[in-house]
Amino acid sequence: MNNHKSLADFYPFFIYLAGFLLFWEWLRPLATITDTGSVYVFVIYTAICFGVSYYVKNPFLVSFIKLMTLFIAIDYLFLPEQLFSPAWFDELRLHVGFNIDIIMQQEWQEMTALFRSLLFFLLLWLMSYLLHYWFLIAKRFFLFILLTFIYVAIVDTFTMYDGSSAIVRTFVISLVAMGITHYMKENQGEKATTTAKELSGYWIIPLLAMVVLATVVGYFAPKFDPQWPDPVPFIKSTAENAGFQEGDTVRKVGYGEDDSRLGGSFLADDSPVFEAIAPKRQYWRIESKDIYTGKGWGRSSDLNYLPLEDGIVEWESFSSDVETTDYQASIQFAEETNLPKVVYPYGVARFNSGPSTQFFMDNASGMIEAELSEQDINLSYLVEYQYPSFSVDRLQEVEGDDPESIRDRYLQLPDELPERVRELAAEVVDEDESRYEKAKKIESYFSNNGFLYQTEDVPVPEGDEDYVDQFLFETQVGYCDNFSTSMVVMLRSLDIPARWVKGFTGGEMAEDQPSLPPEYQLYEVTNNNAHSWVEVFFPDIGWVPFEPTSGFVNPVDFYEEASTDPNNPNEPTTPEEDTTPEEEEETEETAGQELDLEDENALGAGGDGSGSGVNLTKWIITVSIIALVALLFMVYRKRDDIKRWYWKKRAKKRLKEDNVEHSYNFLLMLLEKKVKRREKGQTLREYAKTIDDWLLTDDMSKITSIRERNLYRENTGTNEKDDFTELFENLIGQILP
Amino acid sequence: MEQEMSYYQDQVSNILANIRRVMIGKDQVTTLSLVAFLAEGHVLLEDVPGVGKTMLVRAMAKSLNCNFKRIQFTPDLLPSDVTGVSIYNPKELEFEFRSGPIFGDIVLADEINRTSPKTQSALLEAMEEMNVTVDGMTKSLEKPFFVMATQNPVDYEGTYPLPEAQLDRFLLKLRMGYPNEIDELEMLNRTDQSHPIEEIQAVMQKEELLAIQELIEKIYIDRTVKKYIIQIVTKTRSDDKVQLGASPRGSIALMKAAKAYAFVQNRDYVIPDDIKYLAPFVLAHRLILNPEAKYEGTTADRIIHDILTEVEVPITKEYSR
Repeated sequence: MNNHKSLADFYPFFIYLAGFLLFWEWLRPLATITDTGSVYVFVIYTAICFGVSYYVKNPFLVSFIKLMTLFIAIDYLFLPEQLFSPAWFDELRLHVGFNIDIIMQQEWQEMTALFRSLLFFLLLWLMSYLLHYWFLIAKRFFLFILLTFIYVAIVDTFTMYDGSSAIVRTFVISLVAMGITHYMKENQGEKATTTAKELSGYWIIPLLAMVVLATVVGYFAPKFDPQWPDPVPFIKSTAENAGFQEGDTVRKVGYGEDDSRLGGSFLADDSPVFEAIAPKRQYWRIESKDIYTGKGWGRSSDLNYLPLEDGIVEWESFSSDVETTDYQASIQFAEETNLPKVVYPYGVARFNSGPSTQFFMDNASGMIEAELSEQDINLSYLVEYQYPSFSVDRLQEVEGDDPESIRDRYLQLPDELPERVRELAAEVVDEDESRYEKAKKIESYFSNNGFLYQTEDVPVPEGDEDYVDQFLFETQVGYCDNFSTSMVVMLRSLDIPARWVKGFTGGEMAEDQPSLPPEYQLYEVTNNNAHSWVEVFFPDIGWVPFEPTSGFVNPVDFYEEASTDPNNPNEPTTPEEDTTPEEEEETEETAGQELDLEDENALGAGGDGSGSGVNLTKWIITVSIIALVALLFMVYRKRDDIKRWYWKKRAKKRLKEDNVEHSYNFLLMLLEKKVKRREKGQTLREYAKTIDDWLLTDDMSKITSIRERNLYRENTGTNEKDDFTELFENLIGQILP
Repeated sequence: MEQEMSYYQDQVSNILANIRRVMIGKDQVTTLSLVAFLAEGHVLLEDVPGVGKTMLVRAMAKSLNCNFKRIQFTPDLLPSDVTGVSIYNPKELEFEFRSGPIFGDIVLADEINRTSPKTQSALLEAMEEMNVTVDGMTKSLEKPFFVMATQNPVDYEGTYPLPEAQLDRFLLKLRMGYPNEIDELEMLNRTDQSHPIEEIQAVMQKEELLAIQELIEKIYIDRTVKKYIIQIVTKTRSDDKVQLGASPRGSIALMKAAKAYAFVQNRDYVIPDDIKYLAPFVLAHRLILNPEAKYEGTTADRIIHDILTEVEVPITKEYSR
């Protein structure tokens, strides 16, 4: 019996300890997800609070100890003065007074670290009190376990904190704790019934064995991949592209600035970026990059933004003698867009956006940013541009060497670039072909050789693997980044200056067209339309865009001047030029999503990183399902209360009808449901007797005799009505406690 | 009416209490005998001698202030020994009717199955017709008239089993059984000095008894309860263990008995519980079981019991029909 007693003393302690460990799991992520330093102080304080709550019975003493510990912790963390010296108190008072003022002024950010810590200590104090009550008095800790799991899961999902080991710890602690409580309950139950049946103390061994087994199996067993992609990126962004996780395998599509590590699958994101009213569907350029690292793209020089006076763009990507057409387009960025860049068509000449908006341009990359005045929330501007169309003949005939500055910058390749890439490039082209022909051959090499456009299962190169090499020789599947980067690298290996360009494709023609001049259309450009392509340098002409990605069509027109050479090998170019918009539409339609995705990739692969974009509906459905399940669970938990409420309500209604027969039949129905069925050969009296035996009353017999008279005698004594009501209420009260 | 009823119900309670002073631990038989009496029916008691049958009847007679006659049936008993004979009175120069023991208010017909069927039928005719025919003259029996017949268990030697048609005339068939130890000890204690039967006083007069009998006819029995009776009786006719089920007379008997029982239970209406309680006593002796069922050891009581669990008790009113 002694043994028993000591064991009984221990279990609550274990459970309490488990509670503390679980609570610890709540504190652990603080170091990661907040700027809290010295988390251990908080943990120690919590431990002391827990311990005091457990061992000290006197509530005043408990409070006193907790308060003193709190002071010591504050002193340790913040106050240099001698503990409890007058200066110390002054300092503390100063802090508190200052912070109370701050709070009054709702300047939350200004609160001092000391005061925030103080508040947090107080919170821990409260928690220790609450959990003490929860575990040892109410003996309900399943809820806390559940909350802990949810907390860890949420923190893991939405922050940098890695909860995988926390989950395992929580799991083990919970199982042990629940095992112990279960044992305690069993034990109490046995004590109540049979006195001598004492479980040996060894019960803990199978318990622990089970927990260990479950944990090990759970840890090593194969697990499903997450059934839903990480929801964070989607929540975080509509068009925002502030990714922070490098090298994630699944990204969201959209424009991103960081292209240092390309590759990986991505998911569609059709959140709008901007709307353009333009005379034709054309690519929208943002910037180019020049340094290929073997994994992605970087810049050889830092951005150097120079203001554009009156919005006039001096920068040129092609020489002024290229044939051009003057156009205008109007760009309106979507509200939720955070894209900090200005998109522009080839041949951009001037921005017009009112006096308050200032444009800045980096000439190396061609990147333009706009500075908005305060009141303008969304960037919108008019752009005047001279859209080029390149003469194939001129391109064929270009002579002369590339300027030194161009060669320095746009022929760069990493030393580690595998030789076979260069070999392949050399194989694809003929040595004596013109630069234009070479570019065309490489541009079409991919689609002619079975390279597939694909957004899923696109790997990120690992180790010293080269991004281009991987695409060309191993995977042969990918999206625009793969195609465009490969083309640039192959061209450079052939000594042809080329650069990698990012931007957006022309987008989708809006379904609801506003009334516009006939030649203009409204295009909606979403993150799905993010894209990357190639620009090749031609001396005297400048940078000419090429589109290697299968399924996409070069947006820029090429024309042949009156057939100088019928044997010209670039047949595809000419038809392409004129038909571009239609064709593109068609292809996009046929290729469906793929194309859209492709677009996205090109631009987005770099930036958004952190996660996969998720369909909004999917997310909503998930949340609703969770909510529904939670609701069902609540209903399930409360089902007895709900039923009781329902029956009581019905009972009241019945009684109001003032009909003995109805009320009594209702009572019978309820009794049959809740207590015992009536045999069909059982008379009311006999049934009432069994009910009374069960309920330990004689109310049912009494009420039954009233009903008997009502049923078999066809009259009810007037004074019986009140009795009936009273008995009825009594019985309902007993059946539905 | 209500006052009258409750007065008589009190009286009946007194009678029962009175009889119980003599009949220890025999409440059921006592109550049911009285019920039969009040319902103007007769009782067949099947039991071994010496368990208090006579005492019961005598106690009833004394409590009700009725005259009590006893007929000991023997194989050589003649009908006229029961009904009475006409004797020539030389003084008056005419035949004079000497009434037999049947002309009593309460008649104990002891060991009825020991006599010949001829004599049995004389008794049974009297019970049913409420008159006797002697030498072409019909003499009416006066109310109250209550016969308690006893018979030895059927398989005793030298018995003439009563035919079904005659069994039908008994409202109830009861069994007395041996008292349990405690009751028997109590019985010994009471009879130690003087027999308690001597101390029993009349509780009411014959007229009151007749009034009660009239009152009982007015006891309310609801249509649903009547239907319940019919369902039970009908079921005895369709049961495959039964060769011959209860007759409509059985239904009537059950209803009459139920009314009287309800009265004894201080009610002025019959409830299904009354029917359920009485059905074995009213119906069991009216059934003739199949030989196979008999061979298997099934009893009529058992069959009635099964029927009662199967027939649905009416617990709601019928509104249409």
